[in-house]
Parts: sequence; structure tokens; C-alpha cells
Amino acid sequence: MPVKNFEQVVRFYEARQDPNGPSVWLPLVDVTLITPANSRVSLSLLFDTGASVTTLRADLYPILGLQSWDQGVRVETDTAGGRTTVYRYTYTLEIFGKTIDCPIHLASQLPFHPLFVGLLGRDTVFNEFGFGFWESTHELYLTPSP
Amino acid sequence: MKSSTRAYNQVQSQKTILSLISASGAKSPQEFLETLDKIGIEWYVTEKGTLMIKYWQIGAEDFVPSEQAAVIRSDRPSPDQGDELDWLSKNLPNVRGRYGGQWVAVYNNEIIAAAPDLPDLIRQIGGFDRPLISFIPAEPVVWTFTYAS
Repeated sequence: MPVKNFEQVVRFYEARQDPNGPSVWLPLVDVTLITPANSRVSLSLLFDTGASVTTLRADLYPILGLQSWDQGVRVETDTAGGRTTVYRYTYTLEIFGKTIDCPIHLASQLPFHPLFVGLLGRDTVFNEFGFGFWESTHELYLTPSP
Repeated sequence: MKSSTRAYNQVQSQKTILSLISASGAKSPQEFLETLDKIGIEWYVTEKGTLMIKYWQIGAEDFVPSEQAAVIRSDRPSPDQGDELDWLSKNLPNVRGRYGGQWVAVYNNEIIAAAPDLPDLIRQIGGFDRPLISFIPAEPVVWTFTYAS
């Protein structure tokens, strides 16, 4: 079995909405989106090995320079909540020190969450990295040169 | 000697050292940075590729292209750059109480803009590089994830 070395860490962040409420830990990735206006914004995405494509909430379309969320290529996709319609685009993201042109789905079915606005999925993005997961430490490890 | 005078002299000394390293002909930016590490000068590279040295004076503008800056910064982020996501995580109850139902932009560990609609927020954050954008639901989210403890 080959030795796997990981140089970086994907942190888990605590999401506790009420000081006395339950504690939830989420693996979140800070992704920089380069907008069509050439400005850069930071978006937090949930690291989701179950998502085939990186998916953002539909109401983020103004940041992508779109007039509406449904201008892209219409795609029918299966999710945990059933079959749904999303719209496919390609945008440039900076992730873990790499700049990647990758497919992005806009979906109207993603629930609101204060700590993330979408899911970091596998298509194109995961090809660039190797990942290791340690539940006991609430950390994901990654290497940019798998 | 006053501390401000000491700091000034130290900066001048470091700038002299930078000049000497440049004059010695470092073959690459990486070799230049390794030399700084060897002689104990703390440094980081900004997103635009500017080399900063402690006391965080500009060491060299256009030191590396922005693509190479992203690679260097993944290993050594700016020391004064806040982790916006960490700050939002730790302050979530307060942020939800004040900004529930709005889009927010977080930068250097503070909310720099808030608006009920995203285009309005975008107009407010034009001068900031890489603010964290998120939507704060007015009502608590019902958690269904497996990582609850």
C-alpha cells in the first residue's frame, strides 16, 4: 500500500446557533470565486463527497454576473431529497492554492445555512487533490499533489 | 533608546539585508524566501504577490505573479488576515440575532456589510478583496447532519 502524505488540513467548524443548543461540526472549505467583474469573493462550501458537482444556492446568481439563476444548461439530477432541476455553468475557483475552472450547478432546493452557501462536489475539483479523513480529530487532510 | 527608534533601526537593518540578498543574486523567489528564513526574517506574500517582511513593510512589489502567490499563501497565510469563517462560527448566535434574514459580508473578523438582497450587498463590498459572503437565516436551521455531538 502506498504511503499517503497530506500537507494541508480542511477544518471542521462548529455551528451552534444557540449558546445552549446542540453542537454541530461541519467540514467547510473557503473557496474564492473570481467573478465576471474580476473581483473576488469568498464562499464557504460544505465538503461533500456525495455531491457529484459543486453546487451553489440559486440565489447567488447575481455574484456570478447572471440575470437569473436558470440561464445555464438545464440538468436533471438526483439528490437525497429526490430528483430536481439544476442549471450548469463553468466558473473559476481558487481552492487550496490552486485555480480551477470547474462546473458549477445552481440549485433552488439547497436549504439555507448560515455557515455555507453550497456544496463542494467531486467533478473536476477532486481530481486535483488527494484527501484523507480522520473523524476522531474532526479534520480532513489533503494534498495538492496526489 | 526609545522603542520607536529601535523599531525604525530594525526595519532599516532588515531593508539593508534585503538589498544584500537581492544583490547576491538569488536565483528564484523561492530561493530568496529560503534565505529570509535562514536569517530569521519573518515574511509573508500578499494575494497580489507583494513580499512583506516584519514589521510588515513592503519588501518587494510584484515579487511573484498572483498564481504563484496563491501557492505560497496556502502554506503561509498573512498573519493579520482573519479567518472569517472561524469568526462567523464563533459568533453565530449574535450574528443571527442582529442580521437574521440578511446577506452579510465578513472581512477581518467583522461584518462590513449587510443587506436583505444580494445585489445590494455586492454594491457595498466593491472595495474589499475576498470578503466572505453568507446568508443568515432568520430562524434557526433544523440540523439533520450526522456530525451532531
